[in-house]
Parts: sequence; C-alpha cells; structure tokens
Amino acid sequence: MLRRAVLQTFRQGLAQSFFKRNAVSLSETTVTHQTVETSDEGGEKFVSTQKTGDESGNTVIVAPPEFRFMYPEFLPDPAMETRNRLKEKLERMDMLQRRSVIEIPEFYTGSVMAVTVSDANSPNKFARFVGICIQRGGSGLRAWFILRNVVEKQGVEILYEMYCPLIQKIEVLRLERRLDESLLYLRDALPEYSTFPLDMEPERRLNNLVVPINPLKVKLRPRPWLERWERQNLQGVEDLNLPQRFYDKAEKVAKPWEKYDLMLHYRKTIPAEEQEKIFAEVQSQLQQQELKRKMRRRRGSDNEQ
Amino acid sequence: MNQADLSKLVSALRIAVKPKPRPLSCPEGPAGRLRKLRATVTALVKYERIELYYPRAEEAQGYAERLISDAIRNGDCHKHTMEMADYWLNEKQLVHKLFKVLVPRYQNYNSSFSRLVLGPNSYPGYFAGTAILELKGNPFPALQPETHNYHYWLHNVLLDEAKKEFRSAREERNAGTTESVTAES
Repeated sequence: MLRRAVLQTFRQGLAQSFFKRNAVSLSETTVTHQTVETSDEGGEKFVSTQKTGDESGNTVIVAPPEFRFMYPEFLPDPAMETRNRLKEKLERMDMLQRRSVIEIPEFYTGSVMAVTVSDANSPNKFARFVGICIQRGGSGLRAWFILRNVVEKQGVEILYEMYCPLIQKIEVLRLERRLDESLLYLRDALPEYSTFPLDMEPERRLNNLVVPINPLKVKLRPRPWLERWERQNLQGVEDLNLPQRFYDKAEKVAKPWEKYDLMLHYRKTIPAEEQEKIFAEVQSQLQQQELKRKMRRRRGSDNEQ
Repeated sequence: MNQADLSKLVSALRIAVKPKPRPLSCPEGPAGRLRKLRATVTALVKYERIELYYPRAEEAQGYAERLISDAIRNGDCHKHTMEMADYWLNEKQLVHKLFKVLVPRYQNYNSSFSRLVLGPNSYPGYFAGTAILELKGNPFPALQPETHNYHYWLHNVLLDEAKKEFRSAREERNAGTTESVTAES
C-alpha cells in the first residue's frame, strides 16, 4: 500500500527529492531558493525540490543547491573557447544513460572507494581495486578520479574514468571529505595514511544527512618531495618544519592579488543561473534512477527476509 | 579538461566577457594590474561616468559588473563580498554607496549595470582610442540619442507599400517580356 501511494504521488508530479545528504561545503554557499524540509515516517528528513513560479506563472523545477557538489562532472569545462551548448547537452544525455545502467555513487576527495573493472587478462575477468580518492577532475563523459593505495609496500594510483563502459561497479566504502580538495600530498606522506585493506567492508554512516569532514592532519616524510607543498596552503598537512628560507621564497613567489581577482574567478567557474538550468534538466532523471535503485534494494531486503 | 570551480557562486554577467584577460603593462607587473583597475573601478563608482582609454575601460567594466552582481546576490553581511568591496573600492564611503545606492538601483535589472561607449579619438593619439565607461541610471544627460522605432510612422508605411507596388509591377513587366521571348523561340 505504501509503495503504491509513493508511486502515485510520483505520478502526480510532486517531485520529492530523495537526496537526504546535504554536502557540507568548506566555503560559504548562498542558497538562492528556500528548501522545505518534511519528515517521513522513518524520521528521516527529505528536502523537497522548490517549485518556483516564473513570470508566466508556470512552475519551474529547481534542483537542490547541493547538486553541484554531488555531480560536479555535469558542469561543463568553463574555458570559453571550447564551449558548445549542443555538445554539452548531448553529453549530459549520454551520462544519464550510463547512470541508468550502473550506479555511480556520490563521493568526494578523501572517500575510500572500491572499483571493479572488467579485465580480459585477469583470471576472474574482473579486477577490483580499493583506494582513497585523492583527486577528481574532468567534465562530462571524461570525468575521472584517482584512487591511491599502498599494496605490499608499493604505492599504487589508478585513474578511473567514471563513465567508462568497462567499469562494472563503483562502491563507496567510506564517504567523507578532507580539509583539501586535492590529496596529492599523500604521495609524500607516510605510507600509513594511504594504506587501506583490499578486503575493506563498506562502513555504515552515523549521520545520513551530512557528509563528515575528516580533520586529519597528515605527516609528511622528510624532503625531497614531489612538489613544493609549503607554497600550496594545504590545510590537511601537519606543520612542515622547514627552514625559514623556504617560506621566504614562497612569499616572494606568491600571488596574493589572485584572491581578489574577480574576473579570474568568473572565468574558472560556471555562473549560478547556468548551473541551475543544467541541474534542473538532469534532476528529474537522476531522482527517478535513485528511486528505482531504492525500490530494488528494498525489494531485495524484503526477499531476503 | 578542467572541472568548474565550485567554491563560489557567481551571477552571470550580462556583458561580453573575453576568454583571456588583458595584461595592462605596469612596472610592478601582474601585481600592478589589479592596482590600476582598482583605481578605475573606484572612480567609476564615485563619478558614475569616466573617460579613459578603451583597453582599461573594458577590463574595469568586467570587475565593476562582478562587484555589483556579487553585492546584489550576497548582500553586505556576506564576508567574502565585503572583503572584495573593501579591496576594490579605495574610498570606504563608496562601500556604503555600493550597498545602499547601487544595489537597490540594479536589483531588478535584466541588463548589464554599466555601459561602455567609444569616445572621440584625436589624431595622433593612443591607437586603441578613448572610451566612456558609465553606470546606468546615472543623473547625467544621455551620451547617445534615444533610438526610436520609426518603422510604423505613417510616411514610412506609405513608402514601404509604394516600394512593394513598384517591385511587383516591375516583376510583371519582366514576366510579360520573357513569356513573349519564350513564345517566339
């Protein structure tokens, strides 16, 4: 009965978002639309999508503001010379098609993940790798992320393209964020910070609403390093304890005016109006996919019982 | 391929933004570029119409639009916006003007907040020429005359109809002569 009621409300067009998790961002985000929180029987909070009216009085679907953190690859490359609206639209259609086949979960830099790819040369035809996501990038179908692990004292990094058809499964074993958007310094850190057991089980989250930020400060090995970490304003690294001349040179080379360069920031990002348009376009399909997966999981657990 | 930076939400600017910024040469190099543009943006907010050389005017227009759009989007209680306003406006009373005068003025604008008009060039002079950068809604008389749509004025309607009649008559005459030619051949 409950299932039919849920389907009916969905058919009636009441778009209720099933994304309970609100990503906690490190910087201030402005919420341009109000979110209405309604509580379910299970005591979980739902954030309903705001149906704002435009000038003509028609309802306009607006995606929740967290979408840009959960699906950053849907936003196009901001470089103006290579923007092509039609190409981006077709790419988004292909991305949604792939997402309907395989579940690509929400993850951030610092999350521990396991990826299974089909590999013709391996005995089971599948290769599974567990690692911490140290960087993610790319836009559209070329979105990628790098997983790092230390296997038998050898550091290993694998770059996976999220929409590659060879990928069979992406699991997030531990969903969390770190103090930095890029954890490339783990290459120069002590190996214990990059080691994760290959048979790691998915961890249950204490709070489904908020993605926790791990305030871990990593200890680096003694120099030489791969990059000049003292010049990069890293939050997630312990005090580097370098001689003063390093910090003096870093100050000489620094560009403090870039913090105030408004046009530089503008050219590096997509404006909010365009982001809203893009996510409004893909939102309903993503919601439907999430709903179907939830139903399948619920049906699976019911069958087990 | 780069991912868009998500740390800030910016409003779309309604001016033409070029893909690459202009260097604006000065003794301090890139550090001095923003110092020069700060002076220009401060002057624009103070006087609301300034005459300067075109390249610097075009760059400053972008920064002025960004500052005003951030102020409209975030308001004066937003820490980052206040830091930007404090940096870009050298005179602190102009920060008050930005939030108390310009934001209410441009709150419901669907167009850009500033206008860049090419100015007079006297020969010989700077090759790029002068420009006048002004904030819309300023109290001065307009720089360019208002454009009216003269299409529906009576004499233009009559002239257009007369042109159509002349053209159709000419086509009939030409059709008549070609038919007679084909009939002969």
